[in-house]
Amino acid sequence: MKTTIKLFTLLFVLFAFVSCSDDDEGPNLIAVESNTASNIPAPQTGGQGQPVGGDFTKFSFATGAVTTSDTEWDLAFRGTTIALNGGAVTGTADEPARNGNGGVSIQTGTFASITSADGLTFNQDADGAFAIPTGSDNGWYNYNPQLFLVTPIPGQIFVIRTHDGKYAKVEFLSYYENAPANPDAMSDPSRFYTFNYTYNPNDGETTLAL
Amino acid sequence: MSLNKNNLAIYFLVFFCSLSLAQKRNEQKNDSIITQDLEEVIVTATRTIRQLSSLPLPVTLIPKKQLQQTGVTRLNEILNEQTGIVMTPDATIGGGEGVQIQGISSDYILVLIDGVPIVGRSSGNLDLSRFAIGNIKQIEVVKGPSSSLFGSEALGGVINIITEKPTTKNISGQVSHRGASFNNQNTNVSFNQRKGKFGYSIFADRLSTDGYDLAPSSDGQTINPFFNYTFSGRAFFKASEKLDVFASGRYFFQEFDISPSTSEEKDANAQLRINHSPSKKTNLQYEFYYTNYITDERTIDPIDDELLIENDFDQKLFRPEIRFNYSFGPENTLTVGAGYNFESLDRSLFAEQVTFNSQYIFVQYDYKPLEKINIIAGARFDNHSEYNSQLSPKLSARYQLTNHFAIKGSVGSGFKAPDFRQLYIDFTNAAGGGYSVFGKEVEVAGIQRLQDNNEIATLQVNSSELGEPLDAESSIGYNLGFAYKKGKLSSEINLFRNDFKNLIDTRILAAKTNGQNVFGYINRESVFTQGIELDLQYNALENLNISGGYQLLYAYDKTQREDVANGNVFARDPLTLQTLQLAQSDYFGLENRSRHTLNFKAFYEVPKWSANGNLRVVYRSRFGLTDRNGNGLLDEFDDSFVDGYAIVNLSFGKTFYNHYQLQVGANNLLDFQGENPLTAQDSEILINPGIQLFLKLNVQF
Repeated sequence: MKTTIKLFTLLFVLFAFVSCSDDDEGPNLIAVESNTASNIPAPQTGGQGQPVGGDFTKFSFATGAVTTSDTEWDLAFRGTTIALNGGAVTGTADEPARNGNGGVSIQTGTFASITSADGLTFNQDADGAFAIPTGSDNGWYNYNPQLFLVTPIPGQIFVIRTHDGKYAKVEFLSYYENAPANPDAMSDPSRFYTFNYTYNPNDGETTLAL
Repeated sequence: MSLNKNNLAIYFLVFFCSLSLAQKRNEQKNDSIITQDLEEVIVTATRTIRQLSSLPLPVTLIPKKQLQQTGVTRLNEILNEQTGIVMTPDATIGGGEGVQIQGISSDYILVLIDGVPIVGRSSGNLDLSRFAIGNIKQIEVVKGPSSSLFGSEALGGVINIITEKPTTKNISGQVSHRGASFNNQNTNVSFNQRKGKFGYSIFADRLSTDGYDLAPSSDGQTINPFFNYTFSGRAFFKASEKLDVFASGRYFFQEFDISPSTSEEKDANAQLRINHSPSKKTNLQYEFYYTNYITDERTIDPIDDELLIENDFDQKLFRPEIRFNYSFGPENTLTVGAGYNFESLDRSLFAEQVTFNSQYIFVQYDYKPLEKINIIAGARFDNHSEYNSQLSPKLSARYQLTNHFAIKGSVGSGFKAPDFRQLYIDFTNAAGGGYSVFGKEVEVAGIQRLQDNNEIATLQVNSSELGEPLDAESSIGYNLGFAYKKGKLSSEINLFRNDFKNLIDTRILAAKTNGQNVFGYINRESVFTQGIELDLQYNALENLNISGGYQLLYAYDKTQREDVANGNVFARDPLTLQTLQLAQSDYFGLENRSRHTLNFKAFYEVPKWSANGNLRVVYRSRFGLTDRNGNGLLDEFDDSFVDGYAIVNLSFGKTFYNHYQLQVGANNLLDFQGENPLTAQDSEILINPGIQLFLKLNVQF
């Protein structure tokens, strides 16, 4: 019993020591933050064979909120379509101008297993193609035609380079209001994004672990 | 005088029908086992008449007596009570029911009437409730691949409905009416006669019901009210000892009452078979078969009478076939056959009517190299106008170790040709959001057309891959069985494994500018099913027959299993909604497969009261309906599982004054209703409509 306590004390001291030394390495860096963005509305007009339109809802990782700024945004949502502030306009109606240097690299794993943006290749929006591809099973979601449900594909982690060159990772959790565990396409309002994200606010820093 | 003759015939018939089990048992007692076995012969396993118990293949035989005593009216109901055969609901609510054998789904199971194939599948699924049970001698089910004899579709097994031959000199027949819950009314009448060289039988059946609803809180009914008619007629002519002719026709018509919309289904078959035995050793069979399956669906807006969807389907098959049997000795038969399939399909979702032609030849040698060993070797070659030709071999053997114990094993291959839909569909779902589906033969032109209209955002496949021909889906099946039979007990255990490759799956060809996808077909999936089937039968008392069956089943997609093992598959935690990595134990396997299925049956007769009763219980363990969390496979985190359940069926019958039989019963006696997990909030969807009582009166003359 005593030995166990001793062992734990030793482990704790060791752990505290190691942790301290980590903090000491970058005293000037702002802490990496992890948050959940809930119920980001993404309305659209048209669809079901009609031309799709309507403004995208823009989101900024720096503020962790929806923004109306034409320049200070990173991701923008309309229906199941996600735009990046990087690259060129795709040609769809009512889309925001791209004036940043954003990009996305789609990774596979659990959210925790993606720890860095180092060495990844980033894609940008381009004429005729979103960097996060549209359509079921192509990009971030899977559409179940029997249940009429849009479900984020599990294991798809989106490493984002923000419009101003910082890094974040995103895991989409739900497309339905209040992110119900078992959404019902008939009664739960859709086009509400809920996602977890980790944002490193330090310029050029690729670490995405807390 | 003639009255006497009549009575004699009727007496014979009633005696035969109601007491044949007792009779059989007496014979068994008095004579050797062989006498009993001789009565149970089947034709599906080898296309020659063979004793059931001597076959080297796993076979299920459902005799007429079981059909009568259970009081069932449709093929699907009786199949569900057999070991290793499961009727599975479609994942979609209100969708059809499909038969599953050894874990292999309905798409890969061939259904025959008197040896000729039925056409008319909806999304690959053949609706077995189309087939009325009446005038049927027996139903034969051969498990495992049988493409070496029957060609395409015979991967999981073959179900063959054998109709009855007339036996009585004077006109005999029966009229019956069965009323059941949900206003299910079934009337049928049949006549049979055999006079000299000529024999005929006529059968007519009408079924109507108000249908039922599994989702009471939502609009509409799960099964809408419908009625259907089945007419069939058969004629037999024995020109001489060496030549006989058989002709048959069947017509089925069904209409759903979904006013103002309409839904009709028609199914017609005609068969002519000439059986010629020029010598004692040789036998030639010439067979001509034609079938036509038609559905007409019109979905009409109830408010403004606008035609929303028109979906028509018209499939035809004409098939001449010739078979030649030569007996080198009493248990030494060579069978050679050849045939030609002319198939066509005209469907609303196709650009034009499409046709298939295929030719085939098969050979089978059934012999006994030693007294106790039987070997059947066969192969079939199919040449097809639209895809690669197929060679399907099969080898089976049986070794009678002792008088009571036998070992049997077989290895065979099966295939399924790409169907019309996978080759020719050209469909854009305007109502469903605007996605498109192209069959293999039309995908190049289809993509080009969309590109010309600027509807394609990005092509997801290499353009050189477009239009590459599809291969047939194929399988290899292995069966190893042990049979033990002694006294009142007969038992059989069978181990099976089926490896499927080149299964046709849909894939995304391109993303459209409207955010939807263009789908095409590709040979991709490899799956396997394996398990154990166990059958026990025990004649506990002279008039009590108890039987039980069990199937253990493992059914997985090989690629998915590997992906899970490699840690590349993820699911979503239902509480935090966060991604987690799937463990091997989280992968449930293929949809709609129960690990355990069980059946128990007890049939009891009281000859001095001319009465009988039976109790049948069918259980299937938990199964999943569909992937719900977007990782493309069925795992423990998908909220789509149906808990295991049992259905109990009970029926009693009694004969009065020799001619009148009264039957009462309950299907799903315990009123199991279950709960479908794919239900919407605040509503309920059932698995089963609940208890169904029935009363049936049958008059024989």
